[in-house]
Amino acid sequence: MKLFDAVKTYDYRSLLKHNETFVFFVLLGFSIVVTIINPSFLSIENLFDLAKSSAGMAILAIGVFIVLLSGGIDVSFTAVAISAQYIAVKTLIILGIDNLALAFLISCSVGIALGSINAFLISIFRLPTLITTLGTLSVFHGGLLEFVGSTPFYSGQIPDCFKSFGLAQVFTLVREDGTKFGLSLYVLIILGIVVVTWIILRYTMLGRGIYAIGGNREAAERAGFNITRIQFFIYCYVGFLAGIMAIMHLAMIRYATPTLSIVGTELSVIAAVVLGGARITGGSGSILGTLLGVALIVALQKNLVLMGLSSYWHQFLVGLIIIVGVSITYYQSLRRSQQRVVFTEEL
Amino acid sequence: MWTLFIMMVALSAIMSAALPGKFLRLLNFQSMFSQFPEFGLLSIAMMVAMISGGIDLSVVAITNLTGVVSALILTRMIPAGMAGPQAFIIMALAVVTAIVISGLCGLLNGVVISKFGVPPILATLGTQGLFLGIAIAITEGHGISTFPEKFLFIGSGMVGGIPMPFIIFVGVAVLIFLFMNKTKLGLSIYMVGSNPTVSRFAGIDNDNVLIKTYVVTGLLAGLSSVVMISRVNSMRPGYGAAYLLQAILVVILGGVDPYGGFGSVLGVTMGIIILQVLQSGFNILSFSPFFKKFIWGMMLLVVMVINFFVAKYQQRAKKLGTQPVESVPSPGE
Repeated sequence: MKLFDAVKTYDYRSLLKHNETFVFFVLLGFSIVVTIINPSFLSIENLFDLAKSSAGMAILAIGVFIVLLSGGIDVSFTAVAISAQYIAVKTLIILGIDNLALAFLISCSVGIALGSINAFLISIFRLPTLITTLGTLSVFHGGLLEFVGSTPFYSGQIPDCFKSFGLAQVFTLVREDGTKFGLSLYVLIILGIVVVTWIILRYTMLGRGIYAIGGNREAAERAGFNITRIQFFIYCYVGFLAGIMAIMHLAMIRYATPTLSIVGTELSVIAAVVLGGARITGGSGSILGTLLGVALIVALQKNLVLMGLSSYWHQFLVGLIIIVGVSITYYQSLRRSQQRVVFTEEL
Repeated sequence: MWTLFIMMVALSAIMSAALPGKFLRLLNFQSMFSQFPEFGLLSIAMMVAMISGGIDLSVVAITNLTGVVSALILTRMIPAGMAGPQAFIIMALAVVTAIVISGLCGLLNGVVISKFGVPPILATLGTQGLFLGIAIAITEGHGISTFPEKFLFIGSGMVGGIPMPFIIFVGVAVLIFLFMNKTKLGLSIYMVGSNPTVSRFAGIDNDNVLIKTYVVTGLLAGLSSVVMISRVNSMRPGYGAAYLLQAILVVILGGVDPYGGFGSVLGVTMGIIILQVLQSGFNILSFSPFFKKFIWGMMLLVVMVINFFVAKYQQRAKKLGTQPVESVPSPGE
């Protein structure tokens, strides 16, 4: 009886105010449309596959989400990821070691190191985050290609540890014809990261600090938060996540081309995060929203062809979705602030 | 401003000394002066957007889109052997179309930023994808090349030994200088960038000013695309991607405050020249594109860090009374 009452008396109207609800319904609508065209879309096998391929973007998106929460923006994370990936793989190949743990160690260390460079520039010199990370994007990527190397490593050269990691599954199911498919380990990893991030944001002072900086930096400073330390954590955390994603990405596609992959997908990741409701001015957003945003972008990516549009339209659609999505969101808050006669402009 | 001038002269001197016989040649100067205008126009576009307190990340995408459309007009609508005046009309049509489309792109930017209240970073990030996406979808990733010879004069021709693009650039730079400093709209842009709340209360229609700002930015990007495609004789989506970071670098180097309200055409022009001198030197030294990318990024960071220290020094000097109180501390001085 109690559950029934709870369902009856829940404030459903408040749901409409949340960005996540809109994204969820768009995602739902999109899935229905696609399933009508191609019924195999909603099969368990396809959903498992979707989960695996979106795990990488989801991890990066969570990192970007944290940065956005703090009122900043980071566009260099792709360069951090590819640097971590390439350095890890090259080191393993040169040393002839086939150890996944070592790969993760190198990758995450590189990620944290590069992230700390961002943190240093942004917190010590108070540089604007967008331009700074645009600069470090070039420095990291150009530096990687120039000083570490630009020759790609193909499937035959990649150590086996990566391949087995990429194929690892949580559980396996058997189809009627005897072939197997399963839920990738990637899903566990992303779930773990989501839980850890959620705990940090909700139950630690650090998390509170991130929201505080995003809300009003000066107020946070006066309230006693150590801005420098928090910002160091944020940008190093992004780097750390990028390092994890790097190895997962490598294990999935099984070749490393430092010139072409990952870098260039910044727009899609930021689109996913912003769609999920995170404000670029900081202080609001949710992990759930971010994940929904990623799901939508990935679903779009995978099903463009199904809808009769060539893959060349992908970039356009991502841009269009960002524009429409943020226009609606920001317009709503613009109207709200106009109604309340609030004049503070934060461009 | 003087430090920029000194830097510009010093850098040229170093380059001439370090690369004897290669840098100080007329051919090199002509090559430099025909290469930088397309990029220079983009930098001025970025400057206008930044002075208004925002940023336009979509300038290169606008260039791509307008370039693609103009290229299509030039290649599809002029069959070989078409009579002179007819061909000329179509070439003019291509240029006009470029201007119109770029203006519309800028209009979209302006409307999304002012009427919907979307922060410029996000808005132009989205429109960047939008415009580039249309360009990619139209061309399916391929390039379009081989334009009528007469058209190429814009980008590759010379008037008395001076490259045509340079003449265009100087003309536009002077126009923008007059626009920003002598017209009401130009001064309004400075004010909106400096403090939007105050400018609103001072009676300026912020939305109107911002829309016009981004339209101007778009127009400049469109002009840049005309110069670009006529110099290189082709257009491919993705061309000029490196220009975005370089434009931001040049603008910051030239003394524009990323938070808005400060900046001058003269400073940006000197920044452009400094960058072109460096670029030319790098090319002569055969630096790899990776190394160049690394250096541009480093320069951007170094310049901003220097600005930080300069501003700090000025603040301290003001407090100690060792410097007369200026009306405004200008970054980059």
